[in-house]
Amino acid sequence: MEVSQRTEGEVEVIAISGEIDGSTAPAAQSQILSVAKSDAKILIDMSQVHYMSSAGLRMLLVVYRTVSGQGGKVVLTGLSQDLEDTMSLTGFLDFFDHFESVDAGLAAFN
Amino acid sequence: MDSLTVPGNLDSLQAIRDFVLAAAEEAGIDERSAYKLSLAVDEIATNIIIYGYGGSATPGDVVVQADTEDRRLQIVLEDTSPPFDPFSRGEPSGLDAPLEERAIGGLGVYLAKRSVDEFRYEYVDGRNRNIFVVNRSTT
Repeated sequence: MEVSQRTEGEVEVIAISGEIDGSTAPAAQSQILSVAKSDAKILIDMSQVHYMSSAGLRMLLVVYRTVSGQGGKVVLTGLSQDLEDTMSLTGFLDFFDHFESVDAGLAAFN
Repeated sequence: MDSLTVPGNLDSLQAIRDFVLAAAEEAGIDERSAYKLSLAVDEIATNIIIYGYGGSATPGDVVVQADTEDRRLQIVLEDTSPPFDPFSRGEPSGLDAPLEERAIGGLGVYLAKRSVDEFRYEYVDGRNRNIFVVNRSTT
């Protein structure tokens, strides 16, 4: 798994690629939280994530709570059908703003 | 019957999923069902490694067996950690609760149960056996 980060205007765009499981989720979490300053606008692009277990759900939950608690906002983009299924089954999908493309996700912050 | 033996640490999860996906492909399981099977096995393997073997400086092994039958693919996960029946815990509550109010935990077993056609547990000869079954398409 790899995490890369860039800035688009006021939005921190974090792209995750690879597989998010019990061995990789902690590193993803700490990298994402390292850019979670107060009022942060964070877009997590998951279009290159081909696998995510409940370890990834827990990671997203911690990120969501941390960022929301500091007055920020988290948006997800590029969820595969498999990831959407997992997030839907566990009731996560309804609580995350999610979009197909990064462009659509960026527009959601305006 | 194919089998894979890996040490009970988190670095083994990828190899376990790869083994399961290869068995599913060989059995002609469709991609979506294969993904769900690999998710179910991965969730339980993660629990075995973190909670079963967790804290042990010298964790035991995790053994994965794949057995393809006429109408189904069976995957068995075996470990020698203390007995743990995943059915002993109730369903996680509040799956429709806002994320602010969520308890963290219990989701892995919940996902495992819902991702395969059959999931059962037994403790035999000092080994936990978690058994996952996916029906094969008969067409």
